[in-house]
Amino acid sequence: MGFEHATPGVLLLALILVLPVLYYIGVARRTKNLYVRRIPGVDAVDEAVGRSAELGKPICFSTGLSQIGPVLYASLGVLFHIARKAARYKNRLLVPQVAPDVMAIVEDTISEAYRREGRISQLDPNAVMYLSDEQFAFAAGYAGLVQREKIASAFLFGSFAAESLILAEAGQQVGAMQVAASVSPEQVAFFICTCDYTLIGEELFAASSYLTKEPVQLGTLYAQDRAKLLFFTMILIGVGIATLSSVCGRELANFDWVFSLGWDVLGGWIK
Amino acid sequence: MSLRRRLIQIVTFLGGIYFFLEWLLPEDLNGFKFGAYHEQITNGFVAVGAMAIGLGLFNLLSVHGSVLIFKRRGWINSAALLVSLLLMTLVTALDWRATAGNSERSGKLFELRDFATKIEADFKAQRSGVPQWTQRNLALKNALQAELERLDEELRTLDFSAIGTASAAYGLILSDQTELQKKLPEARALMRELPLEETATPDFGVNARVAGITGELAVLYGDLLNRAYEFSAIKLVYRLLYDGLFVALGSAMFSLLGFYIASAAYRAFRLKSFESGLMLGAALLVMLGQIPFGLWIWSGLPDVRLWILEVPNSGAFRAIKFGAALAGLVLAFRMWLSIESESFSSQEQP
Repeated sequence: MGFEHATPGVLLLALILVLPVLYYIGVARRTKNLYVRRIPGVDAVDEAVGRSAELGKPICFSTGLSQIGPVLYASLGVLFHIARKAARYKNRLLVPQVAPDVMAIVEDTISEAYRREGRISQLDPNAVMYLSDEQFAFAAGYAGLVQREKIASAFLFGSFAAESLILAEAGQQVGAMQVAASVSPEQVAFFICTCDYTLIGEELFAASSYLTKEPVQLGTLYAQDRAKLLFFTMILIGVGIATLSSVCGRELANFDWVFSLGWDVLGGWIK
Repeated sequence: MSLRRRLIQIVTFLGGIYFFLEWLLPEDLNGFKFGAYHEQITNGFVAVGAMAIGLGLFNLLSVHGSVLIFKRRGWINSAALLVSLLLMTLVTALDWRATAGNSERSGKLFELRDFATKIEADFKAQRSGVPQWTQRNLALKNALQAELERLDEELRTLDFSAIGTASAAYGLILSDQTELQKKLPEARALMRELPLEETATPDFGVNARVAGITGELAVLYGDLLNRAYEFSAIKLVYRLLYDGLFVALGSAMFSLLGFYIASAAYRAFRLKSFESGLMLGAALLVMLGQIPFGLWIWSGLPDVRLWILEVPNSGAFRAIKFGAALAGLVLAFRMWLSIESESFSSQEQP
């Protein structure tokens, strides 16, 4: 069996991930007070929005090249929080877009945030603007927008590629306070050099939970942390066994069968 | 819960379960092929995504149109964008029309080539419901005669002098034209030999030769048209706008990175804290290990560079990617099962 399709062994690992999510969402709903460690970059989100309100200059939020998927979904959580604050403090919000389908979702998120604040009439219909689906045309459009509007704060949350530094430098040049978050380690380095705060990897997913403290998001965060702990333990055990095997000169244990466990083998077991 | 939200949840769940099972189940499960229509389903998703381009276009016209109409700040930029958009759309449409027209012109000869071979194939297969082979050969002869006359007339009237006689393209076009003019009488002669009399065992050798020469004419004619089109006004304007401006501007934006990296590196490598000191030290070792000067200082520097990149750097990369992948997977499950946070779920109307 090729690897283009998963095996029951992989399904088992997927279940290990899902079940804790459901469990911890329940726990979060019951206890309502789960602890989340402080993330300086996330704390800076409110600071950047406040700075924008004080200076009376716009906020710019970009989801970069994100397509519809988990990264966008996680970024939208932060955008929702920022849009609510922007509506409350009457800040101008600019959200340049790369993908038209993402733009529709972003528009919906911002409208909902303004509606929650009871300020839907103040929402600028041109707040979400489509620039281009071409990477560098988008970067040029973003840089021009930032320079013209002299933004006070910029949020770069999502998937970014080679244009990341162009976007971040544009904000740096106008003296904007910048918070960035990317799951791509290659771009994280550029953001660290250029932005005031950078959320690295999974912190992007944790940001929304930290800001909203909602049970569903907190539960998810707790579950993924537990799953990570489990995988970390498995890695340690694996490293230990591999090291001991190397020292002893023979293979002490082999867990390949978990991943190669096929439907035919499973069918045989059930019979 | 509103019907709209319920519907979204159902569609999301069904879509999710399809892709999950398609990923999970083997290609053939005791004769049951779950992903038999996978290509059609994914094409459907691509089509839905393509429709979203209209949203982008509408947004561009709305945002920049209002700026232009009310002459707000920066209206000149909006005007430039809208003019560029309209111009590029117009030129691309004209280019598409001209290319399609060229394909259609040479395509008629390809159709006749296929028809010549199909007459034989249908006769051998004793296909019913089609005219007799002699009638079909007569139809082929008439159609081919008309097409060859049209081609002959066109070859006499085509003028390539604007291309420039010194260019290599002109030479190639002339060669195509000469070759076509040489093959035309040959094709006419073969066309006249097409059997039109009813016999029990017809010889379709002429049909095969007619098909062969018609195919050659079609290829040559197509090449000639495409080469000549490369020098047409539409193509030149298209290339000026796309290759000359759009691609060049994209490259200019990309080249900015060279300067931005230098300024970002200057800010990053200032020794402000212990962490920035670590970064500065690591970067210094990696850079020195990369250049010949580093080797001159100490021969072990390339090995140090390699160790930094392959051990601590790779470890950190893997940790980031692993954590992000796990978080993404959990969020994907949440999206699939519509376990929405309050942020995204619209407040129910009372």
